[in-house]
Amino acid sequence: MRGIEPRTSRMQSERSTMLQLFDSVPLADFPAMEIDSQNILQRKQATYTSLDDTFEIHKETYRGQQYSQIYFARLHLMRTLLHSLAPNWKPHLPVCTILQLEKDRECIIVGTLYKHMKLKPCILDEYSKERSVTPLVKPHNFIHPDDTLVLEDDSGRVKLSGSVLLPSIYVTGVVVALLGKETDAGDFLVQDVLEAGLPPQIEHPLKPREDKHVVFVSGLSVGGSTSNPLQFQLLIDHITGHLGDEKEQGIAAEIVHVVLAGNSVEFPRGLLNGQNLASKDQSRLSEPIKELDIFLTQVAASLPLDIMPGSDDPANFSLPQQPLNRCLFPGSSAYNTFRSCTNPHCFEVDNIRFLGTSGQNIDDLEKYSEAKDKLEFMERTLRWRHLAPTTPNTLGCYPFVDRDPFFIDSCPHVYFVGNQDKYKTGLIKGSEGQLVRLICIPKFCDTGVAVVLNLRNLECHTLSFGTEFSS
Amino acid sequence: MATTSGNIKEFYRQRKKSGVSKPSNSKISTKKSLKNAATFGSDITQPSALISHGSPDLQDDYDENEDMLRKFDMNMAYGPCLGMTRLARWERARSLGLNPPEEIEGLLKAEKVRADCLWDGRV
Repeated sequence: MRGIEPRTSRMQSERSTMLQLFDSVPLADFPAMEIDSQNILQRKQATYTSLDDTFEIHKETYRGQQYSQIYFARLHLMRTLLHSLAPNWKPHLPVCTILQLEKDRECIIVGTLYKHMKLKPCILDEYSKERSVTPLVKPHNFIHPDDTLVLEDDSGRVKLSGSVLLPSIYVTGVVVALLGKETDAGDFLVQDVLEAGLPPQIEHPLKPREDKHVVFVSGLSVGGSTSNPLQFQLLIDHITGHLGDEKEQGIAAEIVHVVLAGNSVEFPRGLLNGQNLASKDQSRLSEPIKELDIFLTQVAASLPLDIMPGSDDPANFSLPQQPLNRCLFPGSSAYNTFRSCTNPHCFEVDNIRFLGTSGQNIDDLEKYSEAKDKLEFMERTLRWRHLAPTTPNTLGCYPFVDRDPFFIDSCPHVYFVGNQDKYKTGLIKGSEGQLVRLICIPKFCDTGVAVVLNLRNLECHTLSFGTEFSS
Repeated sequence: MATTSGNIKEFYRQRKKSGVSKPSNSKISTKKSLKNAATFGSDITQPSALISHGSPDLQDDYDENEDMLRKFDMNMAYGPCLGMTRLARWERARSLGLNPPEEIEGLLKAEKVRADCLWDGRV
């Protein structure tokens, strides 16, 4: 297997330290090498627990249900939560349903927000008789100053007015509690908003520990036109300890986990045009995934690896995306360190809780709302306690009947989102002492940047790989 | 006419022991009570031309168990009823902590009642 054998000529000439590989490959396979010193570096280890159970579709069968079921489950879950928070927020004010609203009586209502957007593409526009001026180029963002919000619960809906609730911040699908009163015009004048807030967080031990790192990469797009295999190979060599001197290898030995957050492979789309594939094209179609498997085998032989599906990967379209099939990775799935995971993905390493997606939830928020940067979108999803509030309205999702798996019940310590344009990181604090590290992982094929998180202090830094010689 | 069984007698047999009588045909056109127009002796929902699988759904009419189950279907507190079997909806109501009445579960598991909600197949 290439990549496992150390560069023998270089090793022979210097005092060598050899990174002991994960016990999957015995050391006796390298007879040609002369090791001057027996200074073997051990890779650090960490405990891992996968918490993807809620995102897996085990026995769900589709019985023709509609999305009203998942909206009901979401509303019920969050309404119970908001009802319990309302007395602390505004004591002595009644909570009522929308149908029970009376004019000029101040009360609290709880429901799902719906944002009526003028520019949102609607299938019915194709059938409208008047060909109004529709912009030819679809904007990336469908916000318009005339957007309005409506609150809906199972008894009715009411239009919202006032300047407290800004339509540009909210999206359809968020459940909130609102304080206000009904006006003469029949709409509800909002005076204050209560969001669910950050969920409770399990305390993670703060005792000083050694440095252990988790590496995040996304948007590898292996097989695509923008990806550079050399860049990815350099990253793998660094992680597996084949690059650099002792000090460098010592740093690499502290890496305990690798997460591939989506879009790891890019298929040649030109072949998928509905025509029958010639056998030559069939082998061309499977080349990217084979190439990825070769790369991942090198990583899996060294340390635990999680691979999540993304929007371009061969997985299902609607969230939660199911794990990529192990048959796609014949080489790497032979290792027990290789884990194919769902998107969104939730796991714990050394009792630190991670939660993340391949980017679809944040990208969809960006189309329908405004924020100063991606971290603000991420913070909003945590404060709304919902990973993907725009599902199933504008983001595909499975029509669950009795639950909403995107509800965040326990606050993660690290919240990551893949396939973003730029690397960004931030720290947010909750009202009950929760601390969350937010990470935007950039697309590796465009930027050559991977993110490294230190588990000891939840600090992040980047690893960037360039292959251009500057002239 | 597509009644494959061809039994006109069966088709018109609507005498129930519970004492609710079928109103005569002449009254049907005037008696358009919204609540029961679709089920009470008229063939609006199941016009004979469209019955292709044999017998029409005669159990549709007054039946205490079915009535109780329909009230359960229509109760907003337990969420939408379409697209789920009644038992699944009951289980969901229980797991969400809504305390649905126990009799409904007993009825669904023990007796021969329609498993699907009242709108199933009609919407």
